[in-house]
Amino acid sequence: MSAGNSPQREAEIRQPQLGPLGWARWAWRNLTSMRTALFLLLLLSVAAVPGSIFPQRSIDAGRVADYLAANPTIGPWLNRFGFFEVYQSPWFSAVYLLLVISLIGCIIPRTKLHWHALRSRPPRAPRHLERLGTSATARYAGPPDAALAAAREALRRKRFRVFSHDDSSVSGEAGFLRETGNLLFHVAMCVVIVGVAVGHLFGWRGDVIVTEGETFASVFSQYDTFNTGVMVDPNALPPFTIRLDKLDVRFEREAGGAQFGAPRGFTAYTTTVERPGQSAQQHTISVNEPLTLGGADVYLLGNGYSPVVTVRDAAGKVIYQQATPFLAQDNLYKSVGAIKVPSAGPKQLGFSGFFLPTAEPTYVNGPESVFPDLDSPELALSVWEGNLFPGGRPQSVYTLNTAELTPVPRADGKPLAIRLKPGQSYELPGGRGSISFDSVARFAGFSVRTDPGKGLTLAAALATIAGLVASLLVRRRRVFVRVEPDPQAGSGATSTTLVTIGALAKSADPGLSAFVSDLAAQLATSPTPVASATRTERT
Amino acid sequence: MPLLVTASATPELANWSNLALYSAMAVYTIAMLLFASHLAALGPDTSADASADASAAGAGADRADSADRDGELVGAVAGSVAGSVAGRSVLDGSSPTSSVTATPTGSSSGFGDDGTGGSLRARKLGATGMSMTWLASILLLASVVLRGLSVARAPWGNMFEFATAGATVAAFAYLLLARRHRWEWLGIFVVGPILLTLGTALLAFYTEAAELMPALKSVWLVIHVTVAILAVGLFIVAFGLGVAYLLKVRRDAAEVGTRSRRLAFLDSLPSATRLERSAYGLNMVGFILWTFTLVAGAIWAQKAWGSYWTWDPKEVWTFVVWVVYAAYMHARATAGWEPRKAMWIAIAAFATVIVNFAVVNVFFVGQHSYSGL
Repeated sequence: MSAGNSPQREAEIRQPQLGPLGWARWAWRNLTSMRTALFLLLLLSVAAVPGSIFPQRSIDAGRVADYLAANPTIGPWLNRFGFFEVYQSPWFSAVYLLLVISLIGCIIPRTKLHWHALRSRPPRAPRHLERLGTSATARYAGPPDAALAAAREALRRKRFRVFSHDDSSVSGEAGFLRETGNLLFHVAMCVVIVGVAVGHLFGWRGDVIVTEGETFASVFSQYDTFNTGVMVDPNALPPFTIRLDKLDVRFEREAGGAQFGAPRGFTAYTTTVERPGQSAQQHTISVNEPLTLGGADVYLLGNGYSPVVTVRDAAGKVIYQQATPFLAQDNLYKSVGAIKVPSAGPKQLGFSGFFLPTAEPTYVNGPESVFPDLDSPELALSVWEGNLFPGGRPQSVYTLNTAELTPVPRADGKPLAIRLKPGQSYELPGGRGSISFDSVARFAGFSVRTDPGKGLTLAAALATIAGLVASLLVRRRRVFVRVEPDPQAGSGATSTTLVTIGALAKSADPGLSAFVSDLAAQLATSPTPVASATRTERT
Repeated sequence: MPLLVTASATPELANWSNLALYSAMAVYTIAMLLFASHLAALGPDTSADASADASAAGAGADRADSADRDGELVGAVAGSVAGSVAGRSVLDGSSPTSSVTATPTGSSSGFGDDGTGGSLRARKLGATGMSMTWLASILLLASVVLRGLSVARAPWGNMFEFATAGATVAAFAYLLLARRHRWEWLGIFVVGPILLTLGTALLAFYTEAAELMPALKSVWLVIHVTVAILAVGLFIVAFGLGVAYLLKVRRDAAEVGTRSRRLAFLDSLPSATRLERSAYGLNMVGFILWTFTLVAGAIWAQKAWGSYWTWDPKEVWTFVVWVVYAAYMHARATAGWEPRKAMWIAIAAFATVIVNFAVVNVFFVGQHSYSGL
């Protein structure tokens, strides 16, 4: 990002009139300045925070609805300003888009400069090397041209690019990787954003609940929820099927406190068919171990209980019999669900209530579960009759829409509440038939996802790390060596050369003086090495 | 990963681990008192005032000198200096008083080598503080190891474990750096936060030793969280240096007569430039590690939750931490920004680290619900 700020002009000076092009240039220059980038970075960090404070629709739409219900005054305003979908909101997008533009505006000119720097020669050595920040002298046992050649070789070996502008000096430059890394980091940041965008456009995800013994076919209409990018054809999903043979679940029983009842292991045993006609295969899916099927990844993200319930009419004919998933509400798997029996007569019947894997027997605080595993399962239901589907509108399968339903009372007129343990039945009052709780099966919540951008995003993310390490740890250095015949040496047979080394670093470089004194020591290789004097850079 | 999946907790080892932790805290408390006395002993010494003047003069000379160097460099580097790094940090010129001879490593200690290491008493107090810190840190390490043995996994599966492991890293990072730089004076700035962290971990975050929840059973726990712990450890030490730097700058700017005697120890510290540079170096390495944490976390999230980024509150705050440290790195590389202002951004960044740990895990609802509370 281009640094520096133009010196402030005096107020008396008449500013030149700016045309549209001038203004555009002014805006561009300001937007791409480091100051703006810094401001945008800080703004981005502040703008991201509300998304962690307020519930987000993309994560949990239910909590957003709860929040809106609990805060009727401020809720709608927050909603209007996008606080429940911060990361899709115009203001958050504005900040990061400006940042990306600023980033590109810094990458392009810097790439150009770096390209030129890479191809240009190291500059001519200054006359007085000892005035540079770090310098040293050494005596080389040999003539000046040999000393120069030795210096050139030593620098080359340390991966310097060297060039001699004249016969008595050599200039070396190293550490271009620093700027290369810097540019790589910033370009890779842009690619990360591209990768995320690809995922949003071409990716899809579908969630489905599958009870033990059931088979799920990956067809759009079979998913409970389905989200797709705009470029995805939902009718062209990979046509695999998954049968959930068994779901193994384990909960903490030993540790006390909040750890008691915490989940310890989930494993789904499945039989899958990748595409119709292929042979069935056995696979396990567990948390952290997704299964890849037909290009999509299948994750085990949820679990719960599906009580198997049978409803009979007054004549004893089965009018409803299936495993009905109940959704867990807390860590102890107190679960809510509904049983809808539209074929009941004369009125449609609905049951709604709780499934408790380990029921607290007294119901002092209402129906509660005390452990998430099936130690003492129980159903607690209320009974309704009337029209289950008012207006024929779509509705949740886990709750009853009671708009056109009335509760079924007990014979004594009090509200009816049924408690059933597995194997028990209950005769409904008034010849409405009976309900029995046969057994409990587990269900697995599978999430099927594809993200064609994730490979690109990952590669770019790794590139940012590589770039960052190079840009922060590599030192850009210039080293100059000047040689002259040793003035102190007599006109003896052995000629010695006075070598002066000067070095510059582009940023703070604590290792530079060590580097220079090493180089000096290396060049001072004579039968009787002459001590090299180093002037260290210290602050 | 049989190591991660098997076995439930062994409570005896966990008890020993807690005992080691209590002992470590007791010894840290002693170390902190010693470090405090060390600073006090450094302070009102008469030689300190003289050195203050010297260092102030040195700083002034530094500034003039570096301005001079900038000019020279512009000539030498002839236009090819692109972008941000030009200007201030090009060359912090060598101060004329220090133009003496070969230190082959170039990493001479900032204080002590010029004979202003404080009185004998101060030095003794500092050295004893260091020994106590070593002892306490070894006890702390033992506590972490015992905890790991008791649960048969990497002992950073919940907030309590993360906090103790992070404190251990900070302690050893400090001890190793202090060996190289003679940073006894920094002790109180590091041991203080460590004690606070351990106290909070015990009182507010304590979690019984137990097996992990399924989402945490992954090699990525070791990779992602270990690097996060390392990063936080470095951020803590860098924060201590940053605070010392800001205090020092303020003191250097004040008139000699108006300076508080209580903070007189600051005069014996290394120069503000050195403090700033050390803090920057630690923050820089921390930032690289944090970037790695972020990427490794995303890879793990893809495996465990099916999506590498969902703006879960923990992800949001990890991102916020990253962005604020990135802002600090940029601010420091910008010519127009004083290092003092940049350091304030680093302090703010450290505050977001604290929020990310202490607030997000406990109060925000998200998928990173591993606090164990």
